[in-house]
Amino acid sequence: MTAPRNGPEIIAAGVVTALGLGAVWVASGYPIGTLTRMGPGYVPIALGVILAVLGVTIAAGNRSAERVRLDASLRPFVFILGGILLWALIVDWLGFIAATAVLVVCCASVERGTTPISILALVAGLCAAGYLIFIEGLGIPLSTFGD
Amino acid sequence: MDLVSGIALGIETAVTAEALMYCFIGVTIGMFIGVLPGIGPLAAVSMTLPITYYLEPMSALIMLAGIFYGAQYGGSTASILLNLPGTSTTAVTALDGYPMAKQGRAGVALFITTITSFFGGCFAILLLMSFAPALGRMALAFSSAEYASIMFLGLIAASTMSLGSPLKGLVSVVAGLLISMVGMDPTSGHVRFTFGVLELQDGLNLVAIAMGLFGVAEILKNAGKPDRPTKDLQKVRLRELMPTRQDMAQCWKPAMRGAGVGSFVGILPGAGPTMAAFLAYAFEKRVARDPSRFGRGAIEGISAPEAANNASTQAAFIPTLSLGIPGDAGMAVLLGAMMIHGITPRPEFFSTNPDLFWGLVVSFWIGNLMLLVLNIPLIGVWVRILTIPQRILFPAIIFFICVGAYSVNNNTFDVMVVIVFGVIGYFMNLYQYPTAPLLMGFILGPMIEQHFRRALLYSRGDPWTFVERPVSAAFLACAVLLMVLVALPALRGLWARVSRRETTTRF
Repeated sequence: MTAPRNGPEIIAAGVVTALGLGAVWVASGYPIGTLTRMGPGYVPIALGVILAVLGVTIAAGNRSAERVRLDASLRPFVFILGGILLWALIVDWLGFIAATAVLVVCCASVERGTTPISILALVAGLCAAGYLIFIEGLGIPLSTFGD
Repeated sequence: MDLVSGIALGIETAVTAEALMYCFIGVTIGMFIGVLPGIGPLAAVSMTLPITYYLEPMSALIMLAGIFYGAQYGGSTASILLNLPGTSTTAVTALDGYPMAKQGRAGVALFITTITSFFGGCFAILLLMSFAPALGRMALAFSSAEYASIMFLGLIAASTMSLGSPLKGLVSVVAGLLISMVGMDPTSGHVRFTFGVLELQDGLNLVAIAMGLFGVAEILKNAGKPDRPTKDLQKVRLRELMPTRQDMAQCWKPAMRGAGVGSFVGILPGAGPTMAAFLAYAFEKRVARDPSRFGRGAIEGISAPEAANNASTQAAFIPTLSLGIPGDAGMAVLLGAMMIHGITPRPEFFSTNPDLFWGLVVSFWIGNLMLLVLNIPLIGVWVRILTIPQRILFPAIIFFICVGAYSVNNNTFDVMVVIVFGVIGYFMNLYQYPTAPLLMGFILGPMIEQHFRRALLYSRGDPWTFVERPVSAAFLACAVLLMVLVALPALRGLWARVSRRETTTRF
C-alpha cells in the first residue's frame, strides 16, 4: 500500500483512457440509433467508454505494480523502422533488390559483429531466396530492378 | 457421417503426394521458427500466410496448421537448453526443463517433451474427431444471442487467461474490437474510423497487424542487445536421449492428466495453450507426493505441461471448426486464413465440406507423426539453429515481413501498417499489456457486433434475451465464473512466478 505511484504505468493508463475518449468523440459523429436498431456509432461508443473506464481503473489501482524500466534505446527504432519505411518507399521505384539492400544495411547495422562481407552475403542470399519464392514461385508483381 | 467413413474420407484427402508435401513443409517451417527464440507460432503463421494465398484451400490449411503446431513443438527446445522460451507457453516447460539440462539430462528432457507432446496432440485429435461434428449439430440451433454470448465468453477468456493483469488483458481485447471497426460497417454501409484514408475502407489487414505485433515488436525489443549466451549450450547426443525405465514410469500418468487438462482448456473458446500448460503444471504440483521437487528438474514438471499445450492446440480446433469461434489467438489467425480462402467455418461445415474437415484432421495426425520422426533424430540440427546470430536472423525476418506484407494486396500500404503495429506492440510489451488478446478482439469484432445487433433486433431491443435463452445464459455464467476464478488468490502465487519469468522472455 505504501509503494510509490508508478509514473510510466499511469501515463500508459492515461493513453488508454485518451484512446477510449477519442473513439467516443469520433464515433459520436456516426448515427447512433436505438437499442433495437443500432446505428454504426452504437457499439464503437460503448467500447470507447469501456476502454476509458478500464484506463482509469488501472491508473487508480496500481500502487504495487512492478515498475516499468524504460531502458529502450532509440537506435533499433530508427534503424529497423527506418529500414522498413525505406524498403516500402524504394521497392516500387528502384526495385526489389535495391530496396532489400537498403533494408539489410539498416537492420544489420544495429547488431554487433556486422561486417561488410556479412551484409553483402545476407543481401545476396535474401534477394535470391526472395526472388525464387515470391517473384518466380508465387508471381507477386514486384519489379526486380525498378521501372 | 460416422467416424469410420469420416476417417476413410480423411485418409483419401490427406494421403496424397501433394497434401503430404505441404504437411511436411508446414511442420518443418513451424519447427524451425519455433526453435528460434524470439518469434513464436503467431509470428510464424502470419509470416507464412501470404505464401498460402496462392495454394489450394486444402493445402493452405494443412500447411498453416502444420506450422502452428510445429512451432509449438519447437518452442520447448530453446526453453530446455537455454532457459529462453521461444513462446510464453513453453515458459512453464523451462521451470523444470532447464534444471534437467543443467543436471546433464537435456537429451532426456527433449525426448520426454517430444513424446508427451505427441501423446497430448493425439489425445486431443481423438476428441476433435468425436466431438466437433456433434457440437456442430448442436450449434445448428444457435441464434444470434447464443453466438454473441459465446463470443463474449471467448473474449473474457482471452483477456483474463493471459499472463499478467486481467485488466490489461481486457484493455487489449477492447482495443482489438475497436480496431476491427475501422472500415465499412457491414450492416449499414457507413464508413468508420478511416479519417479519409481510402485504403482503410476495407478495414485493416490481419496479416499486417499480426506481423507488426508479434514480429516487428519483438525484434524492436531485442535488436542491438548482445546475442544469447550459447556457450553453455550442451551437446546433445542421440544415445543420451533415451530415458530410463524409471523416467517413463514417472511421466505417463502426468502426461495423461496433462492431455486431459489441455483438451478442456483448448475447447474453451479464448483460452490458449499458455493457460493449459500453466494449469497442468499447477495440477501436477498439487497431486505430487513431494511438491518440493518441482523447479529442480521434476520429470512431471515437463511432461504434463507439454502434453497439455499440444492437446490444447489441437482441441482449440473444436470451437474453431464447429462454431467459427477461435479457441485462441493462433486459431484466430488460422480462421482469418480460412476466410481469405472463402471457407467460413460454421455448424454446417461438417456436412458442406466433409472432405476439408476430415482431411485436415487426418493431416494433423500425419503432421504429429512427422514431427516425432523429425524431432528426435534431428535434435542436433535444431540445437544448432539456436546459435544463428541476430545480425543474420533479424534482417532476414524483417525482410520476409516486408515482402509478405507487400504481397497481401501488392502495395506498400500494408507495410506501413506493419510499422505502426510494430510500434504499438513494442509499447504494449513494455507496459505489459498482452498483445494476443488484441488479435482475438480484432478477429471476433465484426462477428460479435453483427450478432449482438441482430439479437437485439430480434428481441425488439430487450437485452434480457441474452439471459432468458438458456444456452446463452450458460455461456454468460461461464464468463462470470471465469472472472471470479481469476480473482482467486490461490492461483495468484504461481501465476506471478510465471509472469515474472515471462517478462524476461520473448513471445
